[in-house]
Amino acid sequence: MDALAKETAIILVPIVTIILGFIIGWLGQRSGFCSIGGIRDFILFRQTRLLKGYIGLIVSAFVFYLLFSFLIPTAFPKFFWLLQDGNLFTAIPGAPAGLSVAATIICMIVGGIFVGIIGTLLGGCPLRQVVMTSEGNVKSGFFVIGMIIGALIFSAFVLGWVVNFFGLVGI
Amino acid sequence: MAEIKEKKGIDKILKKPITAGIIIGFLAALVQGLLFPAGGPMAYGFCVACHTRDLVDVIWNNIFGTKLFAAPISTAGALPVLTIIGVLIGAIVAALIYREFRIKKGNAKSCIKYAVGGFFFMICALLMGACPYRIALRIGYGDLIAIFGLIAIVIGVFIGVKIALKKMEAK
Repeated sequence: MDALAKETAIILVPIVTIILGFIIGWLGQRSGFCSIGGIRDFILFRQTRLLKGYIGLIVSAFVFYLLFSFLIPTAFPKFFWLLQDGNLFTAIPGAPAGLSVAATIICMIVGGIFVGIIGTLLGGCPLRQVVMTSEGNVKSGFFVIGMIIGALIFSAFVLGWVVNFFGLVGI
Repeated sequence: MAEIKEKKGIDKILKKPITAGIIIGFLAALVQGLLFPAGGPMAYGFCVACHTRDLVDVIWNNIFGTKLFAAPISTAGALPVLTIIGVLIGAIVAALIYREFRIKKGNAKSCIKYAVGGFFFMICALLMGACPYRIALRIGYGDLIAIFGLIAIVIGVFIGVKIALKKMEAK
């Protein structure tokens, strides 16, 4: 199967993503799906209910990426490039702009640790916060507002600082 | 009557986080299959942090004529990814239908705490180039660097749990 034409896909972007969001929002509300909550519950109580959801997401993403990559190969470039060109650690685009592999890993580790801490202390990963906002939780609403401001500040300043920092250090 | 019963049966399945995880994984792969021609990056089907960033940055760019970073998929057409708006609508509709919508107010102090938390959460998540969901998708896509992110999140949650327990003990 061929992938969609570029023009069609561009028109579809907002429509498809809003439907996707609607379904995920529905599922998130019904199930209380939470990635950080899953890890937290497992560490604290050895409860696996939410963790199963997160592991299910990883496995299902892999299975369906594999399946769809056979159906529409052009839409899944570099799927498991490890198998394709033996290049073990190449970051896929979307990581902070133009950083080297080592710098990306450092960003991942520093960012990930704080994401884990903040998520645990404030009772949920971002999806959970957005869903709780929709359930009428004012505090989560403030979390989302904070996220919006954080996104702007990151794009306007922090991204540049990070790139400069790694440029200076020479990683 | 039968209809309500059936609805409850489906809802029972949907209430399991593992169902949500599998469906989200499937949808993320499907969305990439449909929308990848519009622009990358890969494994971008669903991400709370990045999709919020894209939406906010594109709106900001349109109003103030700035050039904040947004993923190619969001800058290709007139409208960026609208996943987060979809999540908000989907969750609010589900919460209203199942009568789980309740306004929960917080005091000013906790609201500020959540806003600051959301702010730093977003910056750290964008530093990683992914929220926990996109980490899952990236691992499914074969991105080995994302595994560092997942390990870091687990460490972060571990630290967060320790801090939370200490706080409880102090009380």
